[in-house]
Amino acid sequence: MEVKAQDQIAFYLTGHHNGSGLLPLTNRSYRPALFARHADLTALRYDFPLILNVEGPPERAVLSLSGLVDEAVDALQNDADRDRIAQHGYQLERELRRGLSGHHTTGTVLDFATMWNKAAAKLGKEDATIADSAKRLWMLFKANGELVDVDFALPSRVVRHVWNVVQADKARIFHERADRLVLKLHSILDAEAAGSNAGRSPEKLRSGLAGQSGTSFSTTFNFDAMSRILVGAKPSQNLSETRRRRIQSVLDTIERQHFHAPASKTDTPLHSFAFYRCASALQAYKERRNEAIELLKAMAIAELEVSGEYREAGSGKGVADHDAIFADFGVGGIDASMLATLPDYLVCQNSSELGAEETLEIVEALSTGLPVRVLVQTDDLLEPSGISRASLAAPERHLALASRSRHMLDTAIGLTDVFVLQSSAAQLFRLQNAMLRGMSYAGPCFFSVFSGSTGHNGDVPAYLVAAAATESRAFPSIVFDPSAGSDWATRLVVDSNPSPHDPWPVYPFEYESGTLEMHSEDLAFTLADFMAMDERYGEQFAIVPQSGWSDVMTTISDSLSNSKTSKGQVNGRTGLPNAVPCISLVDGEGRLQRAIVNRRALEETRRSQSMWRSLQELGGINNSHARIAELRADERFASQITSNPATTATPVQPAKAQAAIPVLSEPVTASDIAVSITAESHGDDPYIETPRCTTCNECTQVNDKLFVYNAERQASIGDVTAGTFRQLVEAAEGCQVSIIHPGKPRNLKEPGIEDLMKRAAQFN
Amino acid sequence: MNNISLNVLNGNGAATEPLNVNDCLLQLYEEHYELEDYQKGVPRWCTGCGDNAILTAVQRLCRDEALPPEKTVFVSGIGCSSRLPHYMNTYGFHSLHGRALPVAEGIRLARPDLKVFVNMGDGDCCSIGAAHWIHAIRYNMNMTAMLHDNNIYGLTKKQASPTSPIGLKTNTTPRGSYLDALNPLTVTLGVSNVSFVAQVVDWIPKLLYQTIQAAYHHKGFAFIRVIQRCPEWLPTHMEAYMQDPTRVLLLHHENGLHVDDELAKRYTKMQEHDPSDINRAREIASGSDPIPVGILYRNDEVPCYEDVRFDSRLRTTSLVKNGLEAEFDKFTIWPDGHAHVSRN
Ligand SMILES: Cc1ncc(C[n+]2csc(CCOP(=O)(O)OP(=O)(O)O)c2C)c(N)n1
Ligand code: SF4
Ligand code: SF4
Ligand SMILES: [Mg+2]
Repeated sequence: MEVKAQDQIAFYLTGHHNGSGLLPLTNRSYRPALFARHADLTALRYDFPLILNVEGPPERAVLSLSGLVDEAVDALQNDADRDRIAQHGYQLERELRRGLSGHHTTGTVLDFATMWNKAAAKLGKEDATIADSAKRLWMLFKANGELVDVDFALPSRVVRHVWNVVQADKARIFHERADRLVLKLHSILDAEAAGSNAGRSPEKLRSGLAGQSGTSFSTTFNFDAMSRILVGAKPSQNLSETRRRRIQSVLDTIERQHFHAPASKTDTPLHSFAFYRCASALQAYKERRNEAIELLKAMAIAELEVSGEYREAGSGKGVADHDAIFADFGVGGIDASMLATLPDYLVCQNSSELGAEETLEIVEALSTGLPVRVLVQTDDLLEPSGISRASLAAPERHLALASRSRHMLDTAIGLTDVFVLQSSAAQLFRLQNAMLRGMSYAGPCFFSVFSGSTGHNGDVPAYLVAAAATESRAFPSIVFDPSAGSDWATRLVVDSNPSPHDPWPVYPFEYESGTLEMHSEDLAFTLADFMAMDERYGEQFAIVPQSGWSDVMTTISDSLSNSKTSKGQVNGRTGLPNAVPCISLVDGEGRLQRAIVNRRALEETRRSQSMWRSLQELGGINNSHARIAELRADERFASQITSNPATTATPVQPAKAQAAIPVLSEPVTASDIAVSITAESHGDDPYIETPRCTTCNECTQVNDKLFVYNAERQASIGDVTAGTFRQLVEAAEGCQVSIIHPGKPRNLKEPGIEDLMKRAAQFN
Repeated sequence: MNNISLNVLNGNGAATEPLNVNDCLLQLYEEHYELEDYQKGVPRWCTGCGDNAILTAVQRLCRDEALPPEKTVFVSGIGCSSRLPHYMNTYGFHSLHGRALPVAEGIRLARPDLKVFVNMGDGDCCSIGAAHWIHAIRYNMNMTAMLHDNNIYGLTKKQASPTSPIGLKTNTTPRGSYLDALNPLTVTLGVSNVSFVAQVVDWIPKLLYQTIQAAYHHKGFAFIRVIQRCPEWLPTHMEAYMQDPTRVLLLHHENGLHVDDELAKRYTKMQEHDPSDINRAREIASGSDPIPVGILYRNDEVPCYEDVRFDSRLRTTSLVKNGLEAEFDKFTIWPDGHAHVSRN
């Protein structure tokens, strides 16, 4: 074993940079090799910046600048200037990114329109046609609002914006319904007033017309006569006093509600629904609970009133009445779908503020089942754990790996009826549909977002830090939607992570050697790579200058794949490892560097790996139970084949497929039945082919006891004793569809019977 | 949070599934209607009049579809057939001769929540109301329009109508009608946006019901010509067709009417016809003996005017009042003798 390799193994085991030439990763210009091409983010076209759109439906609440430009360019499909406008669009995009980059971490509010115009003005100095392109693109955008990039303020801005849009949409739906109900309830009261005797009095009629734009109709008509005619024409109909009072009180409640902001400004003070702590949100909910019940009840009663379906106690029809139901309304709690028509409570908190008390408050709020939306933002993902903070030397410190928000997340998922979304800021745009679903979910909702603004990543943009957290599985994207189904595999979705079916994502990486030869290798992206970006963990890594690269250096993915005790990693004679894990980095000059990961960092990486593995299992990916069941089934099948060679030719049929094919007997058809019906003998009795009766009243006019209508209003013979044979014959002659058959007379002494029997013959 | 679960009893007194409050409040009573719920008064039509059959068929339809009477409206013009709304215990509008369709269209626009039916005579629809008829087809508003075609002006005592066959002696054509009759089916099938055309005879109640039911379920302007007997003025006019079942041609198809075995036994002349085939529909429509009965044409893709022009504004009293006043102002002669053009 070479000396260099020995030093490297020693660093891996001890974490001490004793060996000559092994340097701690303190130089902050190093970045993960896979980010080599992302040195200048403004030159990249990617999801950010975003527009928090205030124009359009909730589905367009959050838009990506690149997406918008692409959409607009697509819309120009057959335009002669399309290429020019597209090129300008990309330039403007870049200019906007540049303009924004200065504002990172400041959280300033920037307006899309202003920034767009500024970029257009700046670029327009060099090329006059840019102004035209900018204008035409703007016309196609149909979007406006704040322009935001990844920084510490992004998570709460995005979540708050989507929440606002959803609440505005709810308010619109509520008001559409409320306005309709209020209008109709007023109409009920107005109609009663207009139809009452007072409403038809000469004075009322006169004021109704004379009020018209000052015209003097008041003398044109005789209102006394008009009143007399109107009053006499229709009796006055009055609402019962209880109904009038009920309608009036429902109207008062709806018109004076404090929950949803109306489209136009009013003086009615509105409740606020955004809070900084769950305790305040819950307190507010409790204080408004009765008011909410009153409003929901009023809306429900109003619906019944306007459709005329409200049943008062003792109104007869049916066994239950609405009076009784509404008397107990809300006593056992309010139904979630009803609550969902009211605004949702929003709480935004930072994980750094989460002490035991705050955590408990969140758990309490989430377990109430109320539609509360809680955002917990994490800024420092690699915060050292509480038991071993700064007092310890770096190598001894424990990593907590977002332990605060992770505990919250686990608890939230464990509550089973909480909608949960976890995402780094970089993924937030891609997960906006899930966010919308969460915001519209009729129950509690928990958002856990990593901002990427750790304060420990030097000048690496927050976007890259956030993206690295997703890539490395340090902060995987998770959607847990209780309404999606009843099992884990459908409720928990981890598919939006990169390479969700693999332990870690692997990307091809190409580089040139000093002799200008092209090389390529596959690079994994793991927690170790993410840690290497954090200045606090530089000492866990040792940069090996190229001259010192040795055979013991292996990739981190190889180390993770091999278990700790495997022969492949430990020298059988010395018991020392014969390989050390390395990650690849690029320095400020773009040169490839390798750094050894010490054992502690490797262990942390392994730990995060196993967390990801269990998440995959819960999400239905490579589920171990399913795999074992599959193996057992295979074994069973194999043993069946070996024990019974006869079955090898044809695979075993599942039981249900073996069901005997029924022997088809001659089916009885509807026509057979019809034949048997029509052939049914009526003997000498009169009968009518009832289904063919056209309800023409011919026979029933002759004798409505002898000929009667059934429930379908078709004629049949009623009481034969109630009529004469003559009536049967005359009706048969009169029936235009000839379906009355008089049969034989019951009384042969009836006058003219012989002639009647002759006439009847043709109908029998 | 728990749903409030109430064991609501339905009309039969049996406990149903527990419902949450939201569901149950509006469905506390399972609405159930009987034929009597739709009947009103005693029809004043002559005994034997085919209008009775149409009335019974629509009453059965209302009952089977459980149409709330307060959400249903029958609109008619003037004529014997136009008396139908009087005998329906729903809303009704017995309007002016030939004007049933524009009234019905207004109702659809103002109250899209109502189910609209239109009953017209052949004079009503094809003569004085022909212009409205053409445009109603083109506007394709969601309603069920029935043409009670007795080939005669019934109410005014036997004048020739546009559908009277050539040679028919009437009070206005004592020597027989001079012109070939207008064919309401080919006319309807020739108008753009036509979406549903059917023909049926009043004396086969089962088919009459099925056809009106299919028309009711069609979204758009569903036009049915019902060949209707007027025993008062033309007592033998349809006799031959009624007595000989082979003079009726039953059109059937999986997307059209389904002819059951009982009917098939009596009406042996049948033809499979795909209602999406408009050219074949036109061919069939031009034949009159045997009388084609069934759905000739149906296209569910044609947009309805009320959907295209949907006005989401709430029809508040002030909106209606301002609109009306603006219209009235156009005709008002103000004291200074000038017509007032606009309020603003
Ligand atoms: C504007 C106008 N013109 C003429 C009449 C007279 N009128 C009343 S009913 C009718 C014709 C009725 O025939 P039809 O429409 O076929 O209905 P039917 O009575 O046959 O059912 C006529 C011309 C009228 N009421 N109004
Ligand atoms: S005469 Fe014939 S068609 Fe008319 S009601 Fe009687 S049975 Fe029915
Ligand atoms: S005149 Fe003719 S259409 Fe009118 S009611 Fe009598 S039978 Fe019916
Ligand atoms: Mg007529």
